[in-house]
Amino acid sequence: MIMPRGQQLLLPANPTFMLFTLVMALLLDMVQSMAFFGNAPWAPDWIALLLVFWGVHQPLKVGVGISFVMGLLTDVHQTSLLGQHALAFTVQGFLATMIHRRILWFDVPSQALQVLPVFLATHLLELAVRMGAGGLFPGWSMFISPLLQTLLWPLVSFLLLAPQRRAPDPDKNRPL
Amino acid sequence: MPLGTLDRNPPPFFKQGTSALTKLIVFSFLSMALMLADQRYNLVQPARWVLSIIIYPVQWMALRPQVVWYDLGDVFEGKQDVLDNLQAAKTQLLAQSVRTSQLEQLELENRHLRELLELRQRVATPALAAEVLYEAGDPYTRKMVLDKGALNGVVQSSPVMDEKGILGQITRVHPLVSEITLVTDREHSIPVLNTRTGARGVAFGESGGAPLLELRYMATNADIEIDDVLTTSGVDGVYPPGIPVAKVVKIERRADSVFARILCESLARVQGAKHVMVLTPVKLSVESPDLERPVPLQPKGGRR
Repeated sequence: MIMPRGQQLLLPANPTFMLFTLVMALLLDMVQSMAFFGNAPWAPDWIALLLVFWGVHQPLKVGVGISFVMGLLTDVHQTSLLGQHALAFTVQGFLATMIHRRILWFDVPSQALQVLPVFLATHLLELAVRMGAGGLFPGWSMFISPLLQTLLWPLVSFLLLAPQRRAPDPDKNRPL
Repeated sequence: MPLGTLDRNPPPFFKQGTSALTKLIVFSFLSMALMLADQRYNLVQPARWVLSIIIYPVQWMALRPQVVWYDLGDVFEGKQDVLDNLQAAKTQLLAQSVRTSQLEQLELENRHLRELLELRQRVATPALAAEVLYEAGDPYTRKMVLDKGALNGVVQSSPVMDEKGILGQITRVHPLVSEITLVTDREHSIPVLNTRTGARGVAFGESGGAPLLELRYMATNADIEIDDVLTTSGVDGVYPPGIPVAKVVKIERRADSVFARILCESLARVQGAKHVMVLTPVKLSVESPDLERPVPLQPKGGRR
């Protein structure tokens, strides 16, 4: 396997853990919209962020299909047009698969810069679909959302790769 | 180092499954078909039912912080607050008791008068109390989600009101929850009656995005003033008549337009409503009278 010099070898990702994080992201989105921000257009879309994250890091496990299903669930929760998020997330999953070989050669802040266009494309696609279907324009603050998602990329990278960064042979001195 | 500790196993050479591009095309077409079916033909309701049941556990979990927050608020509410609330409730009860005692007499009188006039008895609309779970996260529309669904007897297109006035209409019913489209939604319209003048009109959700209503198709010289109260007129067969809807807040009369632009503020709390009543649509609770249907003339011969 060719990989950047000086990068740590990672343990295999646990599929259960990946599923757990995706459900948690869905939960976080719901808590945001139910308890805190209402239908604020600027709130970061955690499920989109995690789908891109796993799509880049584990392209064989999370790809276009899972993105589509998660998009459908988001549509039902948000009571939006059924298929709106599904379409946006499908395209996003494809873009993530496209960039996954290149992006892992960069350090985390540069990765964040490279996923910004992906998030932006997702939001623009949703906007185009809804305006086409006769929705009202939610306001310019909706473009804060992809920016927030980009800013969260380093945090998510740190947290979600932590289980894979454990020592391969834990002993008494290195329990984790 | 034990085997299987490294994630860097080479990707399979030949068995790679469907290519990402194929999946992109297939799923894009699938979602576009779904959107079309949802938007134009309303065909995807069964799919929504199934998906809504799948995400219900996650939604239930997501609502816990809010519930705990309210409960904590109840625990830490001061004694003085409770006493104040009690005092306010007592005062209100006193004020209402006078009216209630008059009400029975008035009701009796009203019934006699109606019998005299041979008017149809006005039916009390059956209602169901519900609680707002959350405002829907879709920023392109204005909707709320209620905690009562088809299993509790909520039916499609029921009017929903809070203690101040009409809040909206049920547009989708799931087994456990249901969705209200608020009166301020752009696609919502409601027939109203100006209580001061008796003029009828139709109020639409404001299309600009502010949580307001717009009274359309009123002539520039129509008799309408700021603070006029609009109530439901009852001509639509959905909303019971006489329930407050909105108050006029702004009138723009422009020289270049036949119609005035009239903005109204909803009387119900379209932002932050908590307890609501789901009414049965009037058409379901009243048998529509057998009117003589107009019979179209049979065309004689061919078209000229």
